Amino acid sequence: MSHLLEFDEVDKYFGDTHVLKQVSLDVDETEVCVVIGPSGSGKSTLLRCANRLEEIQGGEIRLDGVPLSDPDADINRLRQQIGMVFQSFNLFPHKTALENVTLAPLKVRGIDEDMANARGEELLEQVGLGAQMNSYPNQLSGGQQQRVAIARALAMDPKVMLFDEVTSALDPELVGEVLEVMRTLADDGMTMMVVTHEMGFAREVGDRIVLMADGSVVETGAPEQFFENPETERGKKFLSKLL
Amino acid sequence: MADSYSGASTEADTTGAEGFLDDETLKILGASISSFFALGVVLLVLYILATQVSFTLLQTIIPRFLEALALVLGIVVVSSVLSVTSGIFVGLARVSNTAITKGISAAYVQFFRGTPLLFQIFVVYFGIPVLWPGTFPIQGWELPTAIIALTLNHAAYVGEAVRGGIGAVPDGQMEAARSLGMGYVQSMREVVIPQAWRNALAAVGNDQIILVKDTSLLTVIAIPELMQQFRLVNSATFDPWTPLVLVAIAYLSITIPMGRLVEYLEHRADWGGDSR
Ligand SMILES: Nc1ncnc2c1ncn2[C@@H]1O[C@H](COP(=O)(O)OP(=O)(O)OP(=O)(O)O)[C@@H](O)[C@H]1O
Ligand SMILES: [Mg+2]
Repeated sequence: MSHLLEFDEVDKYFGDTHVLKQVSLDVDETEVCVVIGPSGSGKSTLLRCANRLEEIQGGEIRLDGVPLSDPDADINRLRQQIGMVFQSFNLFPHKTALENVTLAPLKVRGIDEDMANARGEELLEQVGLGAQMNSYPNQLSGGQQQRVAIARALAMDPKVMLFDEVTSALDPELVGEVLEVMRTLADDGMTMMVVTHEMGFAREVGDRIVLMADGSVVETGAPEQFFENPETERGKKFLSKLL
Repeated sequence: MADSYSGASTEADTTGAEGFLDDETLKILGASISSFFALGVVLLVLYILATQVSFTLLQTIIPRFLEALALVLGIVVVSSVLSVTSGIFVGLARVSNTAITKGISAAYVQFFRGTPLLFQIFVVYFGIPVLWPGTFPIQGWELPTAIIALTLNHAAYVGEAVRGGIGAVPDGQMEAARSLGMGYVQSMREVVIPQAWRNALAAVGNDQIILVKDTSLLTVIAIPELMQQFRLVNSATFDPWTPLVLVAIAYLSITIPMGRLVEYLEHRADWGGDSR
């Protein structure tokens, strides 16, 4: 097992606000790392830094040993290896489900259209949307849109997938279908970093739980151990609030 | 979203005007007033056509108005294409991250939106040729002036419309595109601009219809456009209404189809509609 994604003493400021404080964290290949913590603790920021949607002010983030901030590294190349799924889906409204999935492979990879479509159809089937390929996003339910967004991220064959509260904007009855897709992905060996409030999912699918508070990682552990018997005060406090 | 607005306003109307002005009365009142108004206009037009328009004069002046219409149409097509194209770049420059690009485009918009088009026409027509005497033809500088002035002026307005359209595209769209490994330019072209264009369409269309009407200012530099024809015919015959009617028909024959074209483009960019 090697570290696929490494956060090495990462510092992030928004103006004067210190949002990530010396965060160190490694995500191994095929590992599902679940990040939990109270609102404002920096979970989204951590994921966004891993994709360089935010710049960091200190430390280093490495993908497969290559620093993201390496001036020689091609950021667009690196981002292709990191799939990101957002809370608000962010599907392209002027493209059909299939076009959403094939856009980047066509434009970035430059593969030919038949190949892109075949792969896109396969991915949409995989997330259970074989019948909705030609629908526009506003013709789909939230759960369907989020599954298209997952297929879109997978289309670039990323090494790691980042999920930022991807079920938080969904009606309760639509949460299950999205979690199911994520569970299957995890079973297939995808490396995942998942920010979520779905503790059932965290416990069942997560290989490791990371608790953040005030911009720091305060506890990490295997799910059983963390949920049964948290080591830190912060962990105990966080869990007691869930009940 | 539209629903909640209309819902809120109907509610406000009914509560505010409770008692003597309910929805039904308001509807009937509106219909009566507008019908009354429309009837008045139709009668006035019929009266003018019957008493003021000379059909013999009409026959002799139609050809020159057709020529003027063709000329205006030509000027409009060229300046529309140029002003919309350059306006898109002005809009992109306005939202760019480079201070110089941003500043220059902002100054450009300030100037061309902040001074009258007539002034800009004069600058190009009278001002530019004396800067480099002999470079510009004395004869035939009118048409280039028309195209240059209309393009520069309307590129500023189109630029503002496009900037607004880009601003209305959620940040998440750019982030989603970038996170897939698409570059800034690629993300702009494939993701942000198509949506910004849809957002900006109504405002751009509006501006381009104004551009059509702005060609009437070209009469001051003796371009034989529609208002020029009016003045020539009117001063020779002292008949205002016959040429005025032709002027109206000529402008509307450009602006009404243009409005339709904008509606069509908006409809085409509906992307699945609200059909959920
Ligand atoms: N663009 C920004 N500018 C300034 N401050 C920001 C920005 N984005 C986030 N922050 C601040 O950074 C801190 C961490 O925010 P972040 O969104 O990462 O928290 P989170 O753990 O994801 O919270 P939540 O569970 O509510 O999503 C917060 O204090 C937030 O106010
Ligand atoms: Mg968050």
